[in-house]
Amino acid sequence: MDKGNIMSNDSIDYLIIGNSASGLAAAESIRELDGQGRIVILTEEEYENYSKPLITYYLAGRISAGRIYLKEESFYRENNIGLLTGARVISINTGNNSLKTEDGRSFEYIRLLIASGGKPIVPEIRHSTAGKERKKNLERYIDGSNYGNIGGIFTLTTLKDAIAIKEYIGKNKIDNICILGGGLIGLKSAEAFLETGMKITIIELADRILAATFDREASGIIENTIRSAGNGIYTGNTIEEIFTDNGRISGCRLKDGSQIECGMLIIAVGVVPGISITRGTGIKTSRGILVDDHMKTSVKNVYASGDVVESMDILLGENRNIAIWPLAVRQGYVAGNNMAGGEKSYSGGFFMNSVEILGIPSVSMGLTNVEASGDGSVEVKKELKTDRRQYKKVVIRDNRISGLIMVGNIERAGIYAGLIKNRIDISGIKQDIFREDFGILHLPSNYRKHLVVGEGIEV
Amino acid sequence: MRGKPGDEAMKRIFIKEEYCLGCRLCEIYCQVKHSKSKKIIKAFKEELVDVLPRVLVEEIGHNAFAIQCRHCVDAPCVAACISGAMQKNKNTGVVTCDEEKCVGCWSCIMACPYGAIKRDLVGRKIASKCDLCEDEDIPVCVKNCPNEALEFRDTGE
Amino acid sequence: MALKLYQSEFSIERDVEKCISCQVCVRQCSNDVHEYISENDTIISDSMKCVGCHRCESMCPTGAIRIEEREPHFKTNYNWSSGHLKNIYRQADAGGVLLTGMGSDKPYPVYWDHILFNASQVTNPSIDPLREPMEIKTFIGRKSVQQQYPGCGPGPGEIRDTGKKKEKNGPVVGPQLELSTPVLFSAMSYGSISFNACRALAEAASEFGTCYNTGEGGLHRDLYGYAPNTIVQVASGRFGVDRQYLNMGAAIEIKIGQGAKPGIGGHLPGEKVTEDVSITRMIPMGSDAISPAPHHDIYSIEDLAQLIYALKEATGWSKPVGVKVSAVHNIAPIASGIVRAGADFITIDGLRGGTGAAPQVTRDNVGIPIELAIASVDERLREEGIRHFASILAAGSIRSSSDVIKAIALGADAVNIGTAALVAMGCHLCQKCYTGKCNWGIATQDPYLTKRLNPEVGKRRLLNLLRAWSLEIKELLGGAGINAIESLRGNREHLRGIGLSEKELSILGIKHAGETW
Repeated sequence: MDKGNIMSNDSIDYLIIGNSASGLAAAESIRELDGQGRIVILTEEEYENYSKPLITYYLAGRISAGRIYLKEESFYRENNIGLLTGARVISINTGNNSLKTEDGRSFEYIRLLIASGGKPIVPEIRHSTAGKERKKNLERYIDGSNYGNIGGIFTLTTLKDAIAIKEYIGKNKIDNICILGGGLIGLKSAEAFLETGMKITIIELADRILAATFDREASGIIENTIRSAGNGIYTGNTIEEIFTDNGRISGCRLKDGSQIECGMLIIAVGVVPGISITRGTGIKTSRGILVDDHMKTSVKNVYASGDVVESMDILLGENRNIAIWPLAVRQGYVAGNNMAGGEKSYSGGFFMNSVEILGIPSVSMGLTNVEASGDGSVEVKKELKTDRRQYKKVVIRDNRISGLIMVGNIERAGIYAGLIKNRIDISGIKQDIFREDFGILHLPSNYRKHLVVGEGIEV
Repeated sequence: MRGKPGDEAMKRIFIKEEYCLGCRLCEIYCQVKHSKSKKIIKAFKEELVDVLPRVLVEEIGHNAFAIQCRHCVDAPCVAACISGAMQKNKNTGVVTCDEEKCVGCWSCIMACPYGAIKRDLVGRKIASKCDLCEDEDIPVCVKNCPNEALEFRDTGE
Repeated sequence: MALKLYQSEFSIERDVEKCISCQVCVRQCSNDVHEYISENDTIISDSMKCVGCHRCESMCPTGAIRIEEREPHFKTNYNWSSGHLKNIYRQADAGGVLLTGMGSDKPYPVYWDHILFNASQVTNPSIDPLREPMEIKTFIGRKSVQQQYPGCGPGPGEIRDTGKKKEKNGPVVGPQLELSTPVLFSAMSYGSISFNACRALAEAASEFGTCYNTGEGGLHRDLYGYAPNTIVQVASGRFGVDRQYLNMGAAIEIKIGQGAKPGIGGHLPGEKVTEDVSITRMIPMGSDAISPAPHHDIYSIEDLAQLIYALKEATGWSKPVGVKVSAVHNIAPIASGIVRAGADFITIDGLRGGTGAAPQVTRDNVGIPIELAIASVDERLREEGIRHFASILAAGSIRSSSDVIKAIALGADAVNIGTAALVAMGCHLCQKCYTGKCNWGIATQDPYLTKRLNPEVGKRRLLNLLRAWSLEIKELLGGAGINAIESLRGNREHLRGIGLSEKELSILGIKHAGETW
């Protein structure tokens, strides 16, 4: 689908690959400075600017398909932005500032933004068939290229995935789902399925779920909640073999030998930056595309932002892929601003996420999986209220908060985010940060004044 | 009316911490304003089960102040919002949460350095925040502060 | 102490239909009258603790609270009134001097309410102050007699040649305090009232072009900016007095006495001498601030003259130096002595003058009403031909612009308002200033309470009051066909008494209503 004046032969002033958080933020930011320049967004998706994090809400039936869109339909017209959906970029030629899409079209650009996001990982899994299917010549292993050939195996990162899953569940009356991967995507999917009343089984390679973002206590609360609702969690485990019946998944065998029946398998092992399109371009990459604080890549006139990049983690002091929405928006905004001649710079970010499982809200931010150090430079404060399913942990490094977990009660979590972001010395208020009524009034007075009086604040 | 660009557009609530009594009348009037009937006694006696105050009074000893959304220039809640519900009005700069769009993911709560957004759990499970009483000349918390500890004025002043 | 011999003075009526349990009353009462009971979401109130300040009533968003004064339930006895019984019970409990605050509330005659002001009809035209010029500007300080010109020597009765400003071919006058209206703020010290209250007074005086008075508490460094509108006081404790302080003020006032407690000193307990108060008063933190009953260097008019001239010397004869005394029985000769001692103005504080703390027995039984004092002092100074040497500032319950105009017609140059200013800022006259728990944030140093008075708000309210009174004064002047307040000063023909005895009329120097000239 084409929107706006795409098929002109002139070079496009601002060509953006990716129509999600970062790409849209960039387009809006460009329009703030440049009301005229031609902006075209390419997306390989079939749908317009829907919110990727909302697909699990859609799946859960909490929102209708109509509410998944971020912007009004008139957004592209009003902002004079061209949009081309179903346009998968297959190669970029940075030598002559052009790129090609899968359907054979090519586009010339003056400035390019790569905001194409991440791609789900699908590990290689042995595949066995049951009954008469044995005779057919089926793949012995599934992986990223062929998992779609088997009914009931999905990744869940796009609206297309969610619609397909919903359709599959409806058609095949699925009520039992395996989720491979107990990370954030796995848990978000779990949240959706649990809300629709399904039984789920989570299989996680690490010794607990949410191992990357939670510590043992926090994971424990979520695990207990999921388990006590009659669901299964297998940790320190993985799927060794899947079974199909009639071309559809029917169960799996785990590393420890247990066999689980399931009507569907969601593969949520993780997401990696989708850097394949940079192949042969000279754009420097590591795990993700490398960018400077203006979101410029190593190649002139090519910018990158969002889940596809590695950017400054202010807590680690090094570049890292932090694939979260707020940073994607912020980076997109900075990229767009610079593409249009602005001078905004990206001051770095840190990981943060909010997830709610079975009515238990939780927030984690920064480096949480840390224990106190012997020399006192790292302090950890914890408070576990098992009966109330509440947990709070604050990690303090060199008198500055560097990590936070809140489970059960997440009120005013952002105050901690502000303290982390602004690297505020909290040595004077350590005794207060665990108070139930911890608030702005407890903050160091300089920072408080800055917050209350200061007009704008960036996070 | 404050919906238009121009001088009046950038009016904001300023906090005078040193004169906040901690009486919480701002919270009370905010609740009334966002109640169904907008009548204080009726609201509190019959309706308030589902309305949270969008201004929060913090108090430690004699120090107190009322804080509500600062409608940041570069609003972290807007950047964090995954549903497009949290929006900053291009003309007025007012940040509002479209309660129809909000899905209750609490990303805004995680992002707001003021802790000015709350989980409204009783109603539709959405984020609840100050809307600057856009249909009033002066936000009710400011209007009803007995000590003028809240002030509504141009940001430029 | 289970035995309770007297009941509460107030009943707290809470309309449960209206009460929304918002707890504003609970949070606002510094006397812990209201208590929230979470079990059944209600608020209970202990009326025994209520002082009748009406703070909760004012703050209640639904109007659910009414504080009513309760009739005492003692058997009626016109001799042993309930007030007497209660005081005896309280004293029998505690065995001490009964303290109180603000001015006397005893039903002594209020002469203002027995004096009527005149207006023009036919024989001379009245003036519309909105259309014609009307002067209420007032100068405080030593004036010259009309005939006196440079080189002609001092006039009769002039004691010493003071630092006069010589004008070319004009009359010789001493340094003057120029006020845009004949109303000043009374002396109220930082310590007796909060800093915010002081600041509101200072800012309002400064903006309106009148003066406030530091009282005996010294001048807070944050108020130095308002010095041109500050009268600095020198009292028996000499707190905060140094050369800089004296020179900073627009005028200096030596405080001998105060209407609410003539002959009584003061005592600010050490715990109220906070760091800020200690710096301002120039005394060690935590030490009791004792103002002796007399100035121990003033036992006579001659001693007073020494201090007056010492202060004039210290300030280079650049500003008026006045003396404040309570209106006591011999006020006229005392005033005469003060003027002869060289004072440029004399402040007379009447029986009903306010205070932050005074023995009730003194406040309610000592002194004379200000109306009588003004008349007798003005009369005496005129008789002696020294009226023009000093201005008279009258104080002690000036409640309205009509009180101001009557005071001026009786002979005052200007008036001081203390209680009225505090009322403008919220005071409800509960008379519990001495407890330090003022719920209106005025007579307290408790940071939880002082922040209740936003000086911006206080200043605005004070300015409004000054503006309103000034307009009313102009209305009254215009009605009487007078276009300058100067013409009214001591012009008792414009006053008539009503319901007063021959003696009272003769002291006031006014005719009875119905008498003509």
